[in-house]
Amino acid sequence: MGRTDRKQKMLLLGSAVFFCVVVVATLIFKGSTGFQWIMSGLTVGSIYALIAMGFSVIYSSTHVINFAQGEFSMLGGMLMYTLSTRGGVPPLLGFLLAVLMVTALGAGLERATIHPLRDQSVITVIIVTIGISIFLRALAKWIWGTDPVKIASFSGDSPVRFLGAAVVPQSFWVFGFAILAVILVFLFFNRTLMGKGMRAAANNADAASLVGISTSTSSLVAWTIASGLGAAAGIVIAPISFASYSVGTMLGLKGFSSAILGGLGSAPGAVVGGLVLGVLETITAGVFPSGYKDAVAFLILILVLLVRPQGLLGKPEDVKV
Amino acid sequence: MDRKLEKGRSSGRGDYRTLLIVAAFIFLVPAWSRMIPGEVLHMDIVNVMVFAGIYACVVIGLNLLVGYGGQISLGHAAFFGIGAYTTAILCTRFAWFPTWLGALSGVLLAGLIGWLVGVPVLRLKGNYLAMATLGLGEIAFILFTQLKGLTGGTIGIPQGLNVSVSEIPPLSVFGFKFDSDIKFFFLAWAIVMLLMLLNINIIRSRVGRGLRALHSSEIAADAMGVNTSRYKTQVFVLSAMFAALGGALFAHFQRYINPESFVFSVSILFITMVVVGGMGNLWGGIVGVIVLTFLPSVIQAMPQWIPGIPASLTNFSNYSLVLYGLLLIVFMMFMPQGIAAGLSRASAFTGRRAKRLRDRIQARKYEGH
Amino acid sequence: MEINKSTTKVLVLATCLMVAVSLSAIGCGQQKVDTSKEVFKIGAVLSLSGPAAPLGQPEQRALMLLQDNLNSGAGVNGHKVEFIFEDDESQPEKAKAAITRLINQEKVAAVIGSSTTGATLAMAPVAQSSKVALVCCAAGTKITQPVVSYVFRTPPTDSMAITKVLDYLKGTLKVKKIAILHDSNAFGTGGADELSQKAPGSGIEVVSRESYGSTDTDMTAQLTKIKGTPAQAIVVWGTNPGPASIAKNMQQLGITIPFIGSHGIANKKFIELAGPAANGVVFPAGKLLIPSSITEGSDWRKAVDEFAKEYKAKYNMETDTFAAHGYDAGLLITTAMKTAGNDRVKLRDQIEQTEGVVGIDGVFTYSPTNHDGLKTSDLIMIEINNGAWAEIKSS
Repeated sequence: MGRTDRKQKMLLLGSAVFFCVVVVATLIFKGSTGFQWIMSGLTVGSIYALIAMGFSVIYSSTHVINFAQGEFSMLGGMLMYTLSTRGGVPPLLGFLLAVLMVTALGAGLERATIHPLRDQSVITVIIVTIGISIFLRALAKWIWGTDPVKIASFSGDSPVRFLGAAVVPQSFWVFGFAILAVILVFLFFNRTLMGKGMRAAANNADAASLVGISTSTSSLVAWTIASGLGAAAGIVIAPISFASYSVGTMLGLKGFSSAILGGLGSAPGAVVGGLVLGVLETITAGVFPSGYKDAVAFLILILVLLVRPQGLLGKPEDVKV
Repeated sequence: MDRKLEKGRSSGRGDYRTLLIVAAFIFLVPAWSRMIPGEVLHMDIVNVMVFAGIYACVVIGLNLLVGYGGQISLGHAAFFGIGAYTTAILCTRFAWFPTWLGALSGVLLAGLIGWLVGVPVLRLKGNYLAMATLGLGEIAFILFTQLKGLTGGTIGIPQGLNVSVSEIPPLSVFGFKFDSDIKFFFLAWAIVMLLMLLNINIIRSRVGRGLRALHSSEIAADAMGVNTSRYKTQVFVLSAMFAALGGALFAHFQRYINPESFVFSVSILFITMVVVGGMGNLWGGIVGVIVLTFLPSVIQAMPQWIPGIPASLTNFSNYSLVLYGLLLIVFMMFMPQGIAAGLSRASAFTGRRAKRLRDRIQARKYEGH
Repeated sequence: MEINKSTTKVLVLATCLMVAVSLSAIGCGQQKVDTSKEVFKIGAVLSLSGPAAPLGQPEQRALMLLQDNLNSGAGVNGHKVEFIFEDDESQPEKAKAAITRLINQEKVAAVIGSSTTGATLAMAPVAQSSKVALVCCAAGTKITQPVVSYVFRTPPTDSMAITKVLDYLKGTLKVKKIAILHDSNAFGTGGADELSQKAPGSGIEVVSRESYGSTDTDMTAQLTKIKGTPAQAIVVWGTNPGPASIAKNMQQLGITIPFIGSHGIANKKFIELAGPAANGVVFPAGKLLIPSSITEGSDWRKAVDEFAKEYKAKYNMETDTFAAHGYDAGLLITTAMKTAGNDRVKLRDQIEQTEGVVGIDGVFTYSPTNHDGLKTSDLIMIEINNGAWAEIKSS
């Protein structure tokens, strides 16, 4: 056991060193342009990280991949548009209302569709989340139509310049929000009784019930947190990515990839995965013919998984005998 | 999951009999569907069935991989696409190239790529395997789009409408051309039935036993001397070849392909068909394919069947996907083991009831004596 | 005498006939659909869902408006007109299945669609072999070049837009080196290919060609690459929201060379999304975007104004170019039906003889060698100034 542990640590270290070499090489060979790529990559990456965290929260308490996670962010953005941009509700109140509405929806969906399937296999539940995502996307198209909409940036559009790179202020909001979210999620799962119980519930229902957490409560709380987090993320990123009925698909795909890259079920892993993926994407778009940028990003992702089959910060999946 | 698998494993002779019944039912579709005028149904049943047959090739293989092998793939649209592009490229570049050989080349190439990719990737488990296969699917899609010289890029094959240049020819075997919906219907479903036959034999063979051991517990199987990674690779390659066969049929039926038919959502559709039909259930694949291929057509046609639905609801086709998503959720909630399992349980239930009734009648008779 | 009598008879008869004819003409003038007459069915396969839904939805809305307008009047010569809609979900196989069903089951006289080039290319062979006219709303050059007998189109082609852009680059901006940044989807790639091919003919060199994914939100990497080249202008070929992100990214990076867009951003949405970054952006578009660019009092101008008014009244939405493509496709077929009825082959022949039919996109004229209907001169270059469109008068 000890040896595999050490091997794993070496591989992690290796991945980290490789990533740093890529970043440093970019900076050396491309100078301020390279720095611009990294800053842009971090912005895109923190968007991915925010979505990835929602995947992580539900996974770590129920072992389900929620394919509707991107749709919560889509709904957050669209509701914010309706409430504040069109409806004239003050932005902060609009933000809270939109998050509250999506949270209620997330909790309701869990009770209506996920809870009745608590004894079924994980893949069944995953297909249900695919159904939920199709349903929510179609509903949004019905309500808001197909055109993308714009939500004003929180603090203006004039770019901040430093070290030759230009960054829009909203990037700092996204970045800050990602850090805040990861701290809160990490504290919840590691410092509160409920959070610890929820993690236990995912692995051993009986043990968890001893501390008073049933798998049923655990699943409800996880969905509530994930939908709220997703909605808030959707609102914070909307000024950069625009909001439309169809953004959920892309966000879900990239969020899932980040969560896997970082290691499923680990909140810090989600952030690391998101940031690494974002930076890799922009650097490959800069270095390779840009048509191939997603292919290169996915190739690297697969290679990382082959080297570290449980993602960067993940623990090896429990093997059941 | 395992519980259901035990049930799904049915005895050999029964499977062959069911196959005959299913085949008879399906091959009679054109006969009875012709009796209903098209204006009533608002769909072309034979045409939809051709697509169902094409997708069934993919889904039967995927069901072997997912339901029996316990391995997931979110990238099977890639193999579907490899089958389609290989035969399309060969048959349009070289006019003399026999179409059946084109299809065969596609199947073999997909098998080769499946093996090259499967050996390293199948070391991953669960969601990480899902991610890796998803990534492979995306890479394949990007290659279909970017390798313009080979695949025709986003425009696809053929590159335009000048018919004489390079249309994908219809599939022909020994000079017999499958160039109409009805001919293709029989071809596609005959192939599906052959694949099912193959499927039944595989499940009953040593490989099948190995796969089942793999599914219920990989560690135990390993300990008992089952070469797990070999079985995993074999079933992955097989499912890739089934998918490519479906793709080749698709290309020769459509006679025009572009990357849009091989996107991520198609991979998701395949896996959804497996689960909705019944994972690890022999008939799950076919049932899932038929239900999910017909569902959109049924939903679109429904307003015409039911009078009095307001026009605002049917316009702009907004309601159809809302309903599709809802139905998907409902199916899984009421038949979490898949529709095929639900059906067999229902038939077993009625079968038991019938038996009880027979027994009672029999008992009465004796009482009468 | 005999002769005289018969002459009188003939005269009386003729008068009666003339009265009858004029009466029936007045009857027509009352504008009523005759329910005893056969309904004229026209199929419409559009991308109502999937990535191309923003194209298909306005096209369907416009066709429903046309259907209402026709049927509240005399229909086509008293025949009620019915458009039968099918959704191709932006996928070629669904489009092909849909047109097959419309032709075989619904027995439509002609088909409109689809919204995208790929779906249209999948449908066209079916239309051709079944001898049913197909009028598409897609702009891909390959659909009508070379001409196939049963396939027509209403929107200006990508190559007209590209010619317009190259003329502007050469004539007005007088640049020699450009960069292309395009969406990696069919629209963007097709446009970029054609642009790279035609640029040398205008004495313009393409010094950089980059692409982005339709759902990407940040194109700074591609833009910094372009910044390092001697490009004097960037041509962006894509549809919303990509080009809006590019305009914002250019402002962020301080790239000031001209941004020339495609007809894919010929809508108010682009201005809304890009905000102040939209100012100075130039793109080619149909004249209907700026009605004042159409001669005052002309039939075309009246049609455009009327259409905008009715569309607004029915849907409470602004019209866009896609709505115009859909409307014109329906108009083209129903106009031809007035002479040809609903016989499929006669209808096709009649569409090919269309001359001077006033639509929304322009005035349509077809011939056996030209199935495009519009001309490059039906397009104008538009510049965005302070969030509003202004026509650039060619120098």
